[in-house]
Amino acid sequence: MQEPKIKFDHVTKVFQTRSQSILAVKDYSMEIAAGEFVSILGPSGCGKSTLIRMLDGIIDTTEGDIFIDGQKVNYAKKKMPQSILRKMGFIFQQPNMLPWFTVRENIALPLRVFDLKGPEWEKRVDELLELVGLTEYAKAYPAEISGGMLQRAGVIRAMVHDPEILLMDEPFGALDELTREQMNMELLDIWTRTKKTIIFITHNIEEAVLLSSRVYVMGTHPGRLVEIVDLDLPRPRTLSMITQPKFIQYREKLEGCIGEIDLSKIK
Amino acid sequence: MKKKNKLISFLAPVVSFLLIFSLWEIACTVNEVPTWFLPKPTEIFRSMVVDFPEFWPHILVTFEVVLMGFLIAIPVGLLLASLVTSFPLVNAALSPYITFLVTTPLISLIPLLMLMMGFGLNMRITTVVIQSFAVINMNACTGFNNVPTIRRELMQSMGADPIKTYLKMTLPSAASDIFTGVRLAAIFATTTCISVEYNAGNTGLGSQIIKYSQYLKTTQSFACIFYVTIIGLIMYGLISFAQKKIISWKE
Repeated sequence: MQEPKIKFDHVTKVFQTRSQSILAVKDYSMEIAAGEFVSILGPSGCGKSTLIRMLDGIIDTTEGDIFIDGQKVNYAKKKMPQSILRKMGFIFQQPNMLPWFTVRENIALPLRVFDLKGPEWEKRVDELLELVGLTEYAKAYPAEISGGMLQRAGVIRAMVHDPEILLMDEPFGALDELTREQMNMELLDIWTRTKKTIIFITHNIEEAVLLSSRVYVMGTHPGRLVEIVDLDLPRPRTLSMITQPKFIQYREKLEGCIGEIDLSKIK
Repeated sequence: MKKKNKLISFLAPVVSFLLIFSLWEIACTVNEVPTWFLPKPTEIFRSMVVDFPEFWPHILVTFEVVLMGFLIAIPVGLLLASLVTSFPLVNAALSPYITFLVTTPLISLIPLLMLMMGFGLNMRITTVVIQSFAVINMNACTGFNNVPTIRRELMQSMGADPIKTYLKMTLPSAASDIFTGVRLAAIFATTTCISVEYNAGNTGLGSQIIKYSQYLKTTQSFACIFYVTIIGLIMYGLISFAQKKIISWKE
């Protein structure tokens, strides 16, 4: 078998607070092949965001190892080297633009931080702006453009240094339903064209089924893997699939995995 | 419409200014208040012009001390806040002393500083720095500590080094809190400078206010107070200008 692009090997994360230790993720394992689009689905507090933060070197692991391209990337209390971080782009739940930079400067920020210089990189910024229709807003400040535009900027900022992996932490959760559907379709379009490996975190079952090839379902107390569901739906996916019997079948299966948790109450 | 609003916002303070001083003038005239007790505004303004050559060197001294002390306090406060918020050890070691400096009424340190440094400019500037850097430091610390986690995570996800993180993210995130500190520091600087001049030496507007009061030359005393106000206003204007230039974005 081909070596997985990303591998979690029995990863556990314990957060130490002053009064107690909280088991955020317990014994989590998964393997993701290059170019796959997978979702991690679960209610609030199941540790799904913690997972990709460990992968992207924002927080360290307590036990277990994480591999990218077969290379161990996590070391306790040590920063992940930029050579590994460069392989990943992180998309936050909020646009997370820095308000003192223009849209273009924000998108080019990873280039400055990773020290990627040269006309080819600058050209890439312009191409990405073009890709999501932000060219005419390049010189605007984040406070001057809409939420949908800001989140698009967030997506292309994560792509500007040409990472192989995109980590998306409920990226469109803060957007209205219509914009969210549109963004999902744009994301699928980007994925089809670039063949990046995508880990998509969500608490929305429909979104998970619509986008991904496989869904990892997580449960709470402690955060752990409950079920892996492979989705055998044709691509390209369209919004009209939502009403097809097979789609509904998968949706109900996932609802069953998550159990009695009332998702409508979880933001 | 916009033009009209601008005109009103310009005229309103001018009219209220004239009104207040007219009332003051009328009240003094009608009640025949003696000049040594409360001079009329016209007399004070006259003194500000006529006695200007006498005041000028003192205005310069006060302004120099306020400005110098203030300009030294900004980098000192900022640097200290950066160190304190970045290194827990530095924080643990220094925070008691900073609290000590903030809570001690500075007036109680003046005799000691006079003993060590004399009456000169150095002593005055030192006092102003000690008193005003602490508020800058405290407000900057608040700003640095309140940087949103999600912004830190953004920089971490790119493995940004401490200097890039500081310049591109932390410092601008804290900018408006820092300016709050700078504004307060300007007030502290002026207050401290006048306090020192009350106590030490015979130069500076503070010393002149005392001198004229002792001779019952209340008009001149008031003229000096008005010049102190003008110095305060100049400081305020400079800071507002700098803030507008530096913080051009909306959060």
